[in-house]
Amino acid sequence: MSKISTVLRRVAKLISPGQVEPPDAKVMSSVGIHIEGQDRSGTYILRDFYPLCALGQTDGLELLPIADALEKYAWLREKYYWQAVPADLDEYTARCAAEPEPQGYFVRVKKGAKTPFPVQACLYITQGNVTQTVHNVVILEEDAELHLITGCATRTGVRSAVHLGVSEHYIGRNAKLTNTMVHSWGPDVEVYPRSGTIVEAGGTFVSNYISLRPARSVQSNPRTWLNGEGASAKYTTIILGSRGSTIDTGGDVYLNGKNSSAELAHRAVCTGGRIYQRGLLVGNAPGCRAHVDCAGMLLDAGENGFIEAVPGLRALHPEARMSHEASIGKIAPEQVAYLQSRGMSEREAISLIIRGFLDADIEGFSPKLDARIAEIAELAGHGEE
Amino acid sequence: MEESMTNILEIKDLCVEVEGKEILRDLDLIIPEGEVHALLGPNGSGKTTLMMTIIGYPGYEIIGGQILFNGEDIAALDITERARLGIGVSQQRPPTIAGVKLRQVLDFVIANAPQRAQEIDELAQAFQMESFLERDVNAGLSGGEIKRSELFQLLITRPRFVMMDEPDSGVDLEAMSVIGHMTNELLARNHATRPKERRTGLIITHTGNILDYVHADRAHVMIEGCIGCSGNPHILLDQIRKQGYEECVRCELRRRRE
Repeated sequence: MSKISTVLRRVAKLISPGQVEPPDAKVMSSVGIHIEGQDRSGTYILRDFYPLCALGQTDGLELLPIADALEKYAWLREKYYWQAVPADLDEYTARCAAEPEPQGYFVRVKKGAKTPFPVQACLYITQGNVTQTVHNVVILEEDAELHLITGCATRTGVRSAVHLGVSEHYIGRNAKLTNTMVHSWGPDVEVYPRSGTIVEAGGTFVSNYISLRPARSVQSNPRTWLNGEGASAKYTTIILGSRGSTIDTGGDVYLNGKNSSAELAHRAVCTGGRIYQRGLLVGNAPGCRAHVDCAGMLLDAGENGFIEAVPGLRALHPEARMSHEASIGKIAPEQVAYLQSRGMSEREAISLIIRGFLDADIEGFSPKLDARIAEIAELAGHGEE
Repeated sequence: MEESMTNILEIKDLCVEVEGKEILRDLDLIIPEGEVHALLGPNGSGKTTLMMTIIGYPGYEIIGGQILFNGEDIAALDITERARLGIGVSQQRPPTIAGVKLRQVLDFVIANAPQRAQEIDELAQAFQMESFLERDVNAGLSGGEIKRSELFQLLITRPRFVMMDEPDSGVDLEAMSVIGHMTNELLARNHATRPKERRTGLIITHTGNILDYVHADRAHVMIEGCIGCSGNPHILLDQIRKQGYEECVRCELRRRRE
């Protein structure tokens, strides 16, 4: 069953994902977007300022351009829109709020529904020197389950652009949202994602963020409120930083629900540029547990390059159990030599070690994501610009 | 018919420094193809340094002399090139590599020789290594398990010349018999084989325990950075077990004075 949104402004008609031009399809596939739509329950593509495609293919799943959804459902604006991310949070959210015609996706998974395959959303920039603003809302009703893959990229050759993205996630009782976001930006792109997630009792939020090609500047501090009893959040952030880039990723989690739990894992490989790994866990309920772990591998600091790890804990309740760890190191030469002694070249050995570092203790990655990680390892190992 | 023997390894007047300190001094050693030699000697005499220098680990600087492998001077080659020439090592304390599974090392070998996939699977089964494959390389292994993992990788990579650093240290008796079996398999000494069909090896051992399981053709005693004496492994080991390495050191010092 397929639903194609018909309410469209300024764009004549939405196309099917298969009609995306091959060079763009190739870029999209590098950030986890399957243009053929195979193994996907829904597809949304935003090209620059207009949606190209919004297609939900499963019962219980609703996928619409956000403007259409706001028109269709009055309750969306009243109960959800700008509730998890305040419009006046900073200049970037204010800029999004000022858009007369918001772009972005609305995804709703109805009570008890589970999408058989991930839903994919691609935010794609084809022109240089533009500002793309996006506002997404994802609602999972009680017992619903969704894996949302968000792939963000610039068309090959586009160096410079700005991407402002507001994402609001509402996770109902015992619902589970896995959001895997893969970024592959041009070298001079600036990216300011602003995301807020509210999790009710028994709900689970898993956030995987992978930055494949470093933009000039990424600054992101997703916030999650674990409001219900037993709610949980797990963030994994995998960053490749290279010369000229500044990547600042964090994650605030407010553990307000009894026995709620949060885990933040940061992994960064630096071949130049500045990397900040942050995270603030706020324990505010009996029995809540939280752990933040930052690990960095500094291959080549380059000029003014560094990794700075700032894992943060704030306990407001005496029964909150909270811990953090952080480590930064280089590749151990004896590990490289060891693998070389088995016949690997130095580069093969370094790539394998970086891949192992990025993979360590991180569970639940699909083979596709593993391939992304392998790609980062490859890039870092070969010192590509 | 006379077997024409070539020397796999020929070391002449080798001097090696580690962190500016001379560890090996005018060392000579020849290992003909198909022979297994034991390298005995007290702790700190330079046995491991010799092995690391031959495989080409960084930090082991050759300041004099030559290492010929199959007649070729290998000083300018890096570890990878030496490994691909057919030099293999089993380390005494190999590094652990977080996140890198032993399976990935096997996958690398198979990627370069796809026809060997089945054989490698069978080797993993035969040596009960399957449970190690999904673990990080060397992580959380006992002394005996590390030796088995190292020997297993050599069985997979099949180097022409094998060096083993203390395969018998920190190993209980039961594991020792497994390691002995694996070593004989590796060196092709389990069955009646002619010398040319055997693999060439150098086994470093402080205690000599491995020699109760693996027959060596010749033994060398290393004293203070050079080979003090060479000869029949059983005779040398017998003397060492009776009199200790102290006697070897005294003997070497006498020799140097003369």
